Formats: sequence, C-alpha cells, structure tokens
Amino acid sequence: MFMNSNLFEPGKSKLERNFIQSAAKQNTRLDGRKSGDFRDVKLTFGADWGTVIVAIGDTKVLAQVSCDIGTPSSARPNEGTLHLNVSLGGVAYLNESQTTHDQRFLTLNSLLERTFRNSRSLDLESLCVAAEQHVWCVRVDITVLNHDGNLYDASTVAALAALMHFRRPDVTFLDEEIRIYSDKERELIPLLFLHYPVSVTYCLYKSNSHYPYVDPILLEENAADSIIVLSFNSYNELCSLNAGGSTPTKAGIIMQCARNAAKRSKSLVDFLKKALLLDEQRRNNKEPIMEGLVSLLTNKSQTISYNHLMKEDVSDIVMREKQEIPEKVKTEDKPVAVDAEPHKKPSKATPAPINDSAWLPRDKEASPTVVTSSAPTKTNRNKSQRGAGQQKSTQKHSKQQNQSDSEEETKPVIK
Amino acid sequence: MNEIATDKGKVPNDKLREMRCEFNPLSRCDGSVMYSQGSTVVIAAVLGPVEVKTQSLSIDGSYLECNYRPKAGLPQVKERIRESVIQDVLELAVLGESYPRSKMSVQIQELEDRGSIDACAVNAACLAMIIGGLPMKYSFAAVQCIINEDGEYILDPDQRETLHQRASFTFAFDSLEGDLLLVQTKGSFKIAQFNDIECLCRSASANIFQFYRDNIAKYHGRKSSPTSDVKEMETET
Repeated sequence: MFMNSNLFEPGKSKLERNFIQSAAKQNTRLDGRKSGDFRDVKLTFGADWGTVIVAIGDTKVLAQVSCDIGTPSSARPNEGTLHLNVSLGGVAYLNESQTTHDQRFLTLNSLLERTFRNSRSLDLESLCVAAEQHVWCVRVDITVLNHDGNLYDASTVAALAALMHFRRPDVTFLDEEIRIYSDKERELIPLLFLHYPVSVTYCLYKSNSHYPYVDPILLEENAADSIIVLSFNSYNELCSLNAGGSTPTKAGIIMQCARNAAKRSKSLVDFLKKALLLDEQRRNNKEPIMEGLVSLLTNKSQTISYNHLMKEDVSDIVMREKQEIPEKVKTEDKPVAVDAEPHKKPSKATPAPINDSAWLPRDKEASPTVVTSSAPTKTNRNKSQRGAGQQKSTQKHSKQQNQSDSEEETKPVIK
Repeated sequence: MNEIATDKGKVPNDKLREMRCEFNPLSRCDGSVMYSQGSTVVIAAVLGPVEVKTQSLSIDGSYLECNYRPKAGLPQVKERIRESVIQDVLELAVLGESYPRSKMSVQIQELEDRGSIDACAVNAACLAMIIGGLPMKYSFAAVQCIINEDGEYILDPDQRETLHQRASFTFAFDSLEGDLLLVQTKGSFKIAQFNDIECLCRSASANIFQFYRDNIAKYHGRKSSPTSDVKEMETET
C-alpha cells in the first residue's frame, strides 16, 4: 500500500525501457503517431493579461507574467530584467523523488534561460524607464500542472505565449518622480520582441538511432537514451541547442532534426500570433466580462487548438462566435454563415515547406538506401534496398524537404 | 451567475456564484479537480496515502501535507497563512487514524483569483479528497461573505465587490452536524452582524454540499438521490 507507485514515473523500469526500445526498432509509437508527428497544442488565455495554460496532449503548463519597477543591474543599467521561474512542485507532484527533480528542474530552467534571455528575444532596453534608476522587471512564472512528456516544448510555448499576451502599465518619469498609470487611466502596453523562439524536442534510442521521435510522451521520454532540444525562432535562427545522452548519433540526424524543427517553430509562432489575434478580438467583443480560465470548465470553446486554428481564418472564427452569442440570447434559429465545424480528427497541419534552409549544410555522403512507400520493417528495407541503392546512386537527386527526420528516408544527395 | 444587485435597501445578496468543476484533469495524481466559483478558478490535487519521511512519521495517524501556490511569484507569507488555514480544516476532516505511518498530500494551485479564493480553495480541496478516495469523517464547505461600505451583506463576493469591503468573513461547515470548522474574519463588525452572517453562510453551504453530491454522482454515472432533489426544491422556495 505504501509503495510510491504513483511517484515512479512510466518509463523508468527495465521492462518499459525494453518495450520502448523494441518499439523504436520497428519505428512504432505507443499512441500510433509517426516519428515526426506532433501532438495538438491547445492554448487557453486567462482573463488577466499574461496568463495562459498550454496543453500538449496531457502535459499542462500554466504561465503567468507579472512586472514591477525595480533597479537595474550595474552591468546593464539601461536594460530591464527578465526573470523566468519554473516550479515543478505543486499539483504536478514532480518533486517527490529528489534526484529526477533536480536534474529535470535544472535542465528546464537552463533551457528557458538560454532560449529567452541569452538569445535576447525580449527587447529589454524598451523596458528601461530611467537609466540606472528605474527599469521594469518582468517575471514569468511557469507552473507545471501535469507532466506527460515534452515539458521543454510546453514551457517555451507557454512562456512565449504569456509574454506575447502580457500588457504592462504605462509609466512616466518626470522630475525624479515616477508615475505608473493604471489601466483605467492609460492603455496598457505590450512587450516588445526582437524575435520569437520556441523549442522542439526529439528523443533517440540506442536500438534505432536513425529515427528520432518528436514530441515524446512521458513513457518515451524516460526510456530515451538521448534527448535533443532545439529552439528556433521564426526567422530560422537557432536560439539554443541541448543535446545529450548516451546514443551515438550521426551529425546528419541532428541536421535533419534541425531543419524540421525550424519549420515547426515557424508554424508554432504563426499559430501563437493568430491565437493572440483571436483572443484580442474576443476581448473586444465581450468587454467587460471576460471569461478567462473558467472557460476550461464551461464549454472549452475558448481553448485555441493548433490543428483547428491553422485551418481557418481568425475573422471567420470571430464572425462565427459573434453569431453564436445572439443565438444563445434570442434562441432563434439563425443560419450560421460558416462551414461545418472543423472535424475533430487531428490532421498534421502542413505549412508550405521553407526552401530557404539552403544555408544548412547538406549531407555530402550518399545515403545508401532509398525508401519505398510501403515497407514491412526497417531492417528488411535496408537489406532489400541496398542492392537497388547502389544502382540508383549514379543518378543525381536533389535532397527534398520531407517530414521524416531520418536520414535514410531522404533521397540520395548530389554526389 | 449573479452580478451585484446593490439595491439601496438592506437586501443581502444571498446567492452563491455559479460553481463548476471538472474531475481528474491531471493524470499523475490520485485525485484532482478543477473547481470554479464564478470566475475564480482553482486546481486541487491529492496524493496518498504514500510513504513519509521519518521525521514526519507518526504511529497514531497519517501526516497531512498541504500546499497552496499562487499564480505569480513565489509563495509568500500570505500563501503560508492560507495553507495553514486550509490545513486546519483538512486535519479535522481527514480520518488519519486509518493510515498510520503514511502521508497524505493536498496541493492547491490558484489559476485565477476573482474573489473569495480562500473559500474556493477549501471547497476544491474537499472535492479533490473525495475524488481521490482519501478517508474522511465528513465533507466540508467554505463560504465567504463580506460587509460592504453600505452595510449590506454580500455572499461570495467577486473581485469588484471585495475592493469595497468593511469586513470579510470566511466560514467552513461540516456536512454532518453543520458545525463550524473554520472562522476567519477581517475588518470591524458587530457581534450581531457576525451571527447573522454565520447563519447566512450556513444555509448557503447547503447548496455547496448539494453541488458536491450532484457532481460526484454524475461522475460515477448515477443520478443523485430523489430525497436530495426534494431538499433542493425546499431551499429554493
């Protein structure tokens, strides 16, 4: 009865690790996703500015931004400060087994620091009120509500969404006197960004180091031998890279992961911008009563899902919601002037492939195999195609962008 | 959902805000609930009985750990006061004697504070304990009421109303006898007002207990008993 079975996370036992390793060998995942498939990202903005709950599958993270006037550091007297704090304890029950908590906690904190602070994503100079005296100190508190894998991505998306959502009060500094205006006196001001970073996580297994799994669940993450976390911004710039573990990995794999992570980051940032636009228009429609996080309990229509949002225009959604509100009030049958609800089945939203990743070095060596569309298992495919690959290698093929992160699935490069 | 009905007479606002809850939104704990009163939203999770450190080990009963976390910033003294208040109520209700040498942990996370967060946190903790299967002697419900500047009693105030208060009261009652488990007051008031508000809160707590029954029954796929429906009709008239 008293065994801490709840605190033993899935993926730590030998049986589970063997299971995941053999599943990785066959390139299958527990929830049926392909190695390059992401889970749906769902955002819910709160009624306060700077509040957001991000849910990636079952992983739920709450982020809250707050700000205060403070004194700057002496090294940078004309910049505001950004402080990121992740707390794993609390409802997530992650800090019970101390060893995993410390490592995970430190990695998470260091990743967020590097992604947001070291890459200078927030324009800190715009937060300066009076050099050497008064600056805005922005603080992001990230609370993990539930951990089902991929905490890195959820935290970066939550932090970025909260920072983009946040509005700070207007302030004036005259004659040595600082005056902060409340939101009734003057409009609140959003924060300024130089770029928008998000991260993508891959995990690798010793049994199959050519197929990194993206967006792992907790079971896959704990059983992984190596974890690669890449942060890209929407301009295809790498903000941070965290690769570690015990699997020998070809550099080509990491480059392929990087290409796909760059694509995914751009579409995630587009999604965030769209979601913020939608939230803003909802606020304009519903003032002064803003539902906020209660919507998680009422009808969940305020939750913005990546799969659904990337298919529609914001204006369509707002129009549809505007017509739904008078429908509820008047209880008449008004024809809703939009197509049917987006179907629930999550399909992978494929943004146009970015072809400007030419700066990424292409693999010089020809990959020995060419993949056919249907293949029984990876090992069989290798053996059967090796002969065919030799014959085809004389032809020139340009490397195409595709969704898989495996080197072997790409066509052979120019020799 | 009730907005303020501030008529200039002494008509008290005697309705609680609309309550909603969702069970088990979190997958890694024994029981969890996302609970809201009006726009105030709170998440509570329980874990237990589990192993306990030797320093907290007790042969008489289980050790109850309670944590309240605010949405922004690190927990300060204000949060510690809330924790100790909630812990007092929980310790009265939980049947610790059935699981000696163990620990039960209750964690409460504030998601959005729009008034009467103390009461909301206590109610969420009760629901989480029921869903998590912790042994309890009775369930409990907390209600907050304020006296505003005009001398009116406002039950379950939202944030706007909380700003203009002269005194605030938080009471928690148990479900068996209706005994008081918690009394927290702030501000200045007369004893007659205190007694009035205590009665007001006690009758309001009946609604909360009914809400618990209905939702837990719904969660388990059953309808709540017909006798409770009759009682509900009585309280409405």
